[in-house]
Amino acid sequence: MIKADRWIGLLLALLSLYVCWESVRLGLGTYHRPGSGFFSFYAGIVLGALSLVLLCLALFRDLKAGEAWGGWRRILLVAMAMFGFTLLLERLGFLIITFVFVWFLLKVVERRGWAFSLGVAVLVAGASYAVFDLWLKAQLPAGLLGN
Amino acid sequence: MDTIQSILYGFTVALTLKNLAFAFIGVLLGTLVGVLPGIGPAAAISLLLPSTFHADPVSSMIMLCGLYYGTAYGGSTTSILVNIPGEAASIVTCFDGYQMARQGRAGPALGIAAFGSFIAGTIAVIGLMFLAPTLASFALKFGSPEYFSLMVMSITLVAYLSQRSVLKGMMMAALGLILSVVGLDPFTAKLRFTYNILVLRDGLGIVPVVMGLFGVSEVLLNVGTILNREVFRTRIKGLFPTRRDWTDSMMPITRGSLLGFFLGIVPGLGTIIPTFLSYGLEKRLSKHPEKFGTGTIEGVAAPESCNNAAATGNFVSMFSLGIPANAIMAILLGALTIYGLRPGPLLIKERPDLFWGVVASMYVGNAMLLVLNLPLIPMWVQILKVPYAILYPLILLFTLIGSYSLNNNVGDVIIMCVFGVVGFLMNKFQFEPAPLVLALVLGPMLEDNLRRSLLISGGSFTPFFTRPIAAAFLIVSLAILISPLLKLEKLRSLGVFRGS
Repeated sequence: MIKADRWIGLLLALLSLYVCWESVRLGLGTYHRPGSGFFSFYAGIVLGALSLVLLCLALFRDLKAGEAWGGWRRILLVAMAMFGFTLLLERLGFLIITFVFVWFLLKVVERRGWAFSLGVAVLVAGASYAVFDLWLKAQLPAGLLGN
Repeated sequence: MDTIQSILYGFTVALTLKNLAFAFIGVLLGTLVGVLPGIGPAAAISLLLPSTFHADPVSSMIMLCGLYYGTAYGGSTTSILVNIPGEAASIVTCFDGYQMARQGRAGPALGIAAFGSFIAGTIAVIGLMFLAPTLASFALKFGSPEYFSLMVMSITLVAYLSQRSVLKGMMMAALGLILSVVGLDPFTAKLRFTYNILVLRDGLGIVPVVMGLFGVSEVLLNVGTILNREVFRTRIKGLFPTRRDWTDSMMPITRGSLLGFFLGIVPGLGTIIPTFLSYGLEKRLSKHPEKFGTGTIEGVAAPESCNNAAATGNFVSMFSLGIPANAIMAILLGALTIYGLRPGPLLIKERPDLFWGVVASMYVGNAMLLVLNLPLIPMWVQILKVPYAILYPLILLFTLIGSYSLNNNVGDVIIMCVFGVVGFLMNKFQFEPAPLVLALVLGPMLEDNLRRSLLISGGSFTPFFTRPIAAAFLIVSLAILISPLLKLEKLRSLGVFRGS
């Protein structure tokens, strides 16, 4: 059991409360004819009860510090790159965004040389275009290059 | 006789050029995934899944299953040469395998791991061949209450066997059940928890969720830590074990195979726990238990056979009952549904080409692995030297493109990214994704069977307790649920806790 369990227990208890409220709004129905919210209501009750148990245990037990959170900068940059890829995929197009994505990870996150990161990015973008677009015929957005 | 005819039919399916090629790709990729630390079979299967949607379901399943049991082969190479398990089921192999490599016996260690895996894989396929159809015929008697109870038992078992915390495992299972209701209610056609987001109308797709929870989160975890992959510098010679090695290993391989297969059938046990039990059993039965951990061949032969047999054992409940034994089987079950098939006891009867084709392909795949792996070991060693900094951008790119190509929709990619971050946080806060995935996959079936049972019984819960099979499953679930409390009481009575 770790220190963060107090907050996680509380957060999940609140989430389960919301799930139960939303389930009631959807309609619980009766035991004869269960409604749309019937199943999620009881699942919410179970999650709520278990979250409260976690919260209580975390409040009254000696807690460990939990795992160390190393490499924050890299993790954050990789997550940003992923979300950036997602948001710009249709606008920029698959080929350009793949190139930028790989270059960013190698140059900015991994701090590799310019020539290496640009070279690998071009290679990966070209190879994935050949595999996904030409060979597998996955309909990936052309974006800017489509115009 | 029926089984013999069926398996012969299976071979006619598995031995077509196309299916041989798919099996080959599957086992080769499986070995690669097994060799590479930092990417597990769940992540790899979810990565590959979108590319199979346009292919024939039988060929696709042959490839995905090959990838799964192929992983168990590859994991040993990294354990023996690098002292890092290539995948979790090979942790135990590090104990004696790496010590053998240090003593200049990397060859026999790799050799016995490959031969043991082949023998275990073959024994387990025979078990699967006979057991799955029998279990499926038995399951034909199941009605909604039995199915509901069986699924409750499976989810409870998987949550109970969470390696970190039973409570957290149960919480994740409950969260998975909640997530499973997102989308259209099949009974009333009402939208649930969709918030006018189009991509949520059909429910949370299992593939983007799994790709996020296993693929992306694994990358994020590895990016935060530096993997030290120093390959042990030794000349790998004499891959064929000596007569003495065989004498020492034969019984551990047999015991490991049987133990692995039967434990692999049980939902939740997966492939990791059986390997630890197998190692423990061999140590207990050995005349020289003190040698375990110092480079004894039995310590490699038993767990390596065990993890292969368990990987095949995992398929029994998936094919016969439509109930996945672990998160990877849950992904494969999701794949079957996406291919338009109906997993359950009728699957073997309705699609004999699929079941018997896959079973036959397992014999072929195991043989391919044995023939391929030993000569390819130098190549795997080279691949191990590729820095993770180069590998992970490619892994991420595949997940991103893979999730987009599911429906050509950015919504799926966002779901995957969100669950990637969630999976990362879950890992950091010591929650496991397996119960969540299993509950997410089983949730719709669980709800369907519960509501159907209640509709038929007029709102009464008695069928769950008066029908013997349903009651038995529920009793087992209850016993699992209260067992942590009993253990606590036992410890308390022994004065383990302060003040008692």
